[in-house]
Amino acid sequence: MVFQQEGPDQPVVHNGTVHAPDAELAMLNARDVFVRRPEAVALWVVPADAIFTQTQEELAKAEPADQAASELSDYYVFAKFSQQAQCRQVGQVQAGSPQAAVQAAIATFADKQPLWWWVFPASAVLKNESSEAEPMFSAARYKTYKDQAEYPVVTMMRALRDKGRLD
Amino acid sequence: MERARQYALSGYLIALADDELILGHRDSEWTGHAPILEEDIAFANLALDEIGHAKLWYELGADLLGQDKTTYPDRLVYFREPAQFRNMQLVELPKGDWAFSTLRQYLFDAFEALRLEALSQSSYTPLAEIAARIRTEELYHLRHSQAWVPRLGLGTEESHARMQAALDALWPYAQGLAAPLPGEQDLHAAGIVPSSAALFERWSGEVSQFLVEAGLQVELRSPLADMHRSSHSEHLPALIHDLQSVARLDPEAIW
Repeated sequence: MVFQQEGPDQPVVHNGTVHAPDAELAMLNARDVFVRRPEAVALWVVPADAIFTQTQEELAKAEPADQAASELSDYYVFAKFSQQAQCRQVGQVQAGSPQAAVQAAIATFADKQPLWWWVFPASAVLKNESSEAEPMFSAARYKTYKDQAEYPVVTMMRALRDKGRLD
Repeated sequence: MERARQYALSGYLIALADDELILGHRDSEWTGHAPILEEDIAFANLALDEIGHAKLWYELGADLLGQDKTTYPDRLVYFREPAQFRNMQLVELPKGDWAFSTLRQYLFDAFEALRLEALSQSSYTPLAEIAARIRTEELYHLRHSQAWVPRLGLGTEESHARMQAALDALWPYAQGLAAPLPGEQDLHAAGIVPSSAALFERWSGEVSQFLVEAGLQVELRSPLADMHRSSHSEHLPALIHDLQSVARLDPEAIW
């Protein structure tokens, strides 16, 4: 799963999926597929099977999370607030299991009412190194991509057709 | 800069641009054909980047010749004969299998990283500035091709065999990286460009070690007899024909 941050003050959001045999290639693929043109300041890749998700319906039916002693670790918390919205980062919690992380997220971010929670251990994430940011993201900033409207082909063809009609 | 040196430097830059253009064209041939979707997109990106770099060098070359930099690059690209191109043979070889294209990209990217590092220190500021800008993007290219070489070299029996075959075919052509570019001697003496032979020495050491670590056997063969940039393989005319066919249908057409 690929997550992207478009600006320093923007949340990290989920923007898609790539196939890759390992984290480094996932990162490279993510860059090529998702951030060559749009702006980005950070890119994360997370193995799809490391992400635990619960919808509101699933939560309603879920068994209480097992809080038995297990070591706490850091989890990133993401949430989707509408069908159209991208899943975006709301914060971070400490928990002993993914299920417990969702419960902790509900308690910590009580004001949020998302349709869908996503949590994953911070240790499962590969983030781009800040030293890599320049080669990965700068190209998109100085490139000018021609808008389709700038190609005069359609206008020219229309002019030729009109001319043909007049002749 | 004196007139004679301006001409020499434009010849040098056009040769650099030709390398980028031809390699970019070969990379673009993977569009729709790469083994996985992500690499299809990656190779299309590489192709666009390389052609974009070619454009920057052609424009600076045009400036130095006192030519219009909005029109002169197109004249160079679309209306020269194959024999007038100054790219090295390494970049014009057909794309081969994906191991071949990936390894060629690595060999070329690794050299370019060194050359751009040197060019970004050039005493000719406009050249140094463009080199620094291209270098940023090339560092990413190198990271991409560098990621694949050991994964294929040490991957399956088949990926290893394909990589070794690619290396055996490419290595003699890669020796052409040592050959000086047009006008290089004088430009190097003036601190404007690096010596290809010196860069090649560094490249050769770094690349050989990397390839060996990727499980590949590097044969220290004698270089090709003719590495001069005015001699080309039989593959270039067909490529140039493809590249120019649309533009030559109507030379006056507006794009």
